[in-house]
Amino acid sequence: MQLGFLVDLRLCMGCKGCEIACKVENEVPLSTWRLRVKYVDVGTFPETKRTFTPLRCNHCANAPCERICPVSALHYLENGIVNIDKERCIGCAGCVMACPYGAIYIDPQTQTADKCTYCAHRIASAMMPSCVVACPVEANIFGDLDDPMSSISKYIQSHQGNVQVRKPEKGTFPHHYYVGGGNVTLNPLASFRGEGHNLFNNLKHLPIGGH
Amino acid sequence: MVHETIAATNAVVVLDVALPGIVWGWIITMNMWAKSIGTGIIFLGFYLLKKHPEQTGFIRFPVVAISIVFIHIFLFFTVIDLHQMFRFWHIFFYPHLTSAITIGAWMATGFVGLLLAMAYFIYMKKDEAMYDKLLGWTVLLAVPVTLYTAGLMAQSTARELWQMPTESAQMILAALLAGSATMILLGGNKFSDAVKKDLAVVLGLAAAAAFILYMAEIIFGPMKAEEVAAVLHYIKGGEYTVMFWIGQVMAFIVPMVLVCLSLKNQSYYLLKIAAVSALIGLWVSKHVWLVIPQLLPMS
Repeated sequence: MQLGFLVDLRLCMGCKGCEIACKVENEVPLSTWRLRVKYVDVGTFPETKRTFTPLRCNHCANAPCERICPVSALHYLENGIVNIDKERCIGCAGCVMACPYGAIYIDPQTQTADKCTYCAHRIASAMMPSCVVACPVEANIFGDLDDPMSSISKYIQSHQGNVQVRKPEKGTFPHHYYVGGGNVTLNPLASFRGEGHNLFNNLKHLPIGGH
Repeated sequence: MVHETIAATNAVVVLDVALPGIVWGWIITMNMWAKSIGTGIIFLGFYLLKKHPEQTGFIRFPVVAISIVFIHIFLFFTVIDLHQMFRFWHIFFYPHLTSAITIGAWMATGFVGLLLAMAYFIYMKKDEAMYDKLLGWTVLLAVPVTLYTAGLMAQSTARELWQMPTESAQMILAALLAGSATMILLGGNKFSDAVKKDLAVVLGLAAAAAFILYMAEIIFGPMKAEEVAAVLHYIKGGEYTVMFWIGQVMAFIVPMVLVCLSLKNQSYYLLKIAAVSALIGLWVSKHVWLVIPQLLPMS
């Protein structure tokens, strides 16, 4: 079994339902994200459009984070998921340095590395990842890449020529695919980053009770 | 290059999470800097004891003492950089041998053990023969201890600027630079002219070779990968330009010039200034090279 993800960017409408579902399911602290949706505006008014790109761990077959982890806190599960053992992690941040996708962060509460696990705990209970369940347009397609009859395999078959991964030149062999992507959505160097695009990162806590 | 399409597409990221910022900062710079001195002084001590045994016998204890001090500074900064520093022992009980961090930790532990044994034999037993025998093994272990950080940087797949063959050469050159500079400051005027000349040559050549590598990276690096080109913008007119050149001048250019002048004028005073400049500049240049790839967005 090799679990994988596919996001059809033509369907994604940037509602961030997946982002919130992930936050709630995995109790992801403020200012950090296991899954987030990047917004990129393209064009010049009035010929403009906004693109949405959900970004999460790619669960690479040749994962740099797994290789660099000194204590095997990052490890492969039998179903291909790159999982993390937060009790074992020493917080060296080697994985943060190694991941070419910026998918790993240091959890401010546990002071250990954290990232998307494809909701490994839900999969162990035969449930879909929370982001898949939350997506209102079924833009997230999840399943077994080794099974030609799985929904993800069929989707890849029917969209040949339009299936991409991020940064294939890194040789990481991601198990996370995009349909309908392009440079603007998948390449961080293809867009300008203006002031304020990261405003949510500054929210470290929420004032309760109005004070 | 895709970066050049921005003007055409006018693509602007309007919402994304922030960069994690500089995750490996000055603490890791201290780590690399102290390690360069800790292993470099062993390389130079071994060289001097082999080539000038009669004139350098007095360095045996100071060399091992300095190495112990700086290796422990290196270890201290390594441990305090961990977000879970009290789990450091996991590296020994749950080792993952594909990781350069694991290999480095094991090698450094063996290195410290040999250093302590050398200190014991030279200070407590006054046994120079045993010291010299252990020094050979210590030098062998100093090589991977010096190089493992280069391996770690190479395993950091996200950071294109750090390439393995270059970084390994830079680590060895940094050790030779720091080792010779520390030895120059350690020896005072007790060294003969021949020893001083040898140290000056090592310092000058290490500075020259490291400077050439940095310049080669700046000129040819952008041709290797777009990420490298984007990263190098931070030192080509970007926010780290001044700091980068301060590092280059102090670590490499000033020592090269002063070494030439000191050899010509036989001035040990100039050599000492070169040594101080090299040690300060090495910290600065290592820091800039460590930080700039972390400024690049990954998503």
